[in-house]
Amino acid sequence: MERKELEQQIIALVATSYGVEEAALTADSKFGEDINGTSVQMVGLVSEIENELDVMVQLQDAAGCATIADLVDKVEEEM
Amino acid sequence: MSVLDEIYEKAKVNPQKVAFPEAENEKMMQAAYEAGKEGYIHPILVGNVEKIKSLIAERGLEESVFTFVDIADEEYRDAIIAKYIALEGTLLKEKPLIRRMKDPLYFAMVMEAVGDAAVTFAGIDNTTGDVLLAGQMIIGLKPGISTISSIGLCDIQGFEGSEGSLLAVGDSAVCTNPTSEQLASIAISACDTVSSLLDWEPRCAMVSYSTLGSGQGELIDKVVEGVKIANELRPDLAIDGEFQFDSAVSEAVAAKKVNRESRVAGKANVIIWPDLNVGNVGVKLIQQFGKADAYGPMLQGFNKIVCDCSRGAPVSEIKGNIVISAVRAAGSKN
Repeated sequence: MERKELEQQIIALVATSYGVEEAALTADSKFGEDINGTSVQMVGLVSEIENELDVMVQLQDAAGCATIADLVDKVEEEM
Repeated sequence: MSVLDEIYEKAKVNPQKVAFPEAENEKMMQAAYEAGKEGYIHPILVGNVEKIKSLIAERGLEESVFTFVDIADEEYRDAIIAKYIALEGTLLKEKPLIRRMKDPLYFAMVMEAVGDAAVTFAGIDNTTGDVLLAGQMIIGLKPGISTISSIGLCDIQGFEGSEGSLLAVGDSAVCTNPTSEQLASIAISACDTVSSLLDWEPRCAMVSYSTLGSGQGELIDKVVEGVKIANELRPDLAIDGEFQFDSAVSEAVAAKKVNRESRVAGKANVIIWPDLNVGNVGVKLIQQFGKADAYGPMLQGFNKIVCDCSRGAPVSEIKGNIVISAVRAAGSKN
């Protein structure tokens, strides 16, 4: 899968899990600043990544990502 | 009769199925065995059954006390996955479930989610983080609850509160710096926990360093807002504040400081700390100076009962927590 395609898929999953507009997010969007939510929503995001991309990202790795781009890197590492 | 004795009596009346995903662990197996043998629970050992049975024989325990679920049993696994996926609001789909259920912790939680067990009891080999994550992924949170949290039950020598020497306090273990919304969740969950475990009518005080506006500042605002949210979400519950600790538990102090009607002030049986610093220090003060026995922490906020025990806990403590979790499960079915 191309990086750009993966990025767009993860943006869509972040939007669903955090209840924000997909159009408002980019790869540079920051967790804790542009994307605010609870740890429960992060669990939901990790689950969605597992469901849709068949990739298991550890919760603590996902929680350590500053931006969506960092999360895409993590997913790529696990693919 | 101590509170723990009363809980043990309750457990015997309606023993629940408890799933043990760390069944090979010697202390866990012994605690499950004793709780099962004495009639408090029906223990289900989940894992590699051949290995578990050989350990039972090696340790001289009676196999008939337990029932067994093998995580390699694909027919049963697929049957509970089908039931699980049909439930509302579950996070994981079939493929990730199959992968995760190679871990007995996840297998046991899926069993619990579909009703084949009332409790999943773990934490001796898995970390608290592992148990909380599996609980959030598989069991999920109760509707309207925004955080997992915990309460402890303190039996305090010489304390004469509205439940005698007993006082429930939380959160002293899980949620570090709760928002107002999370404080409300902790209070609501705590009320439900004491109702299911002890049949109390909860009177829940959210405490701070101010009583009803006697102080000002953001630390207090957070608690005031938490009380407001809790009352909006669950008007049926007696949740009140902000109170100082003494205004919450002493009728004499409440008479002086609380100048309005309150179902809680002076007679609180549940205390909600404003954050984990206060909660952790608070419970240790109670233990050290109050010579209290503290039971728990009991995890709360999940859709069903999930239990995490301390990795250093002795068999007697594990057994006590198993029985407590079973009684909570029985109580929450009512």
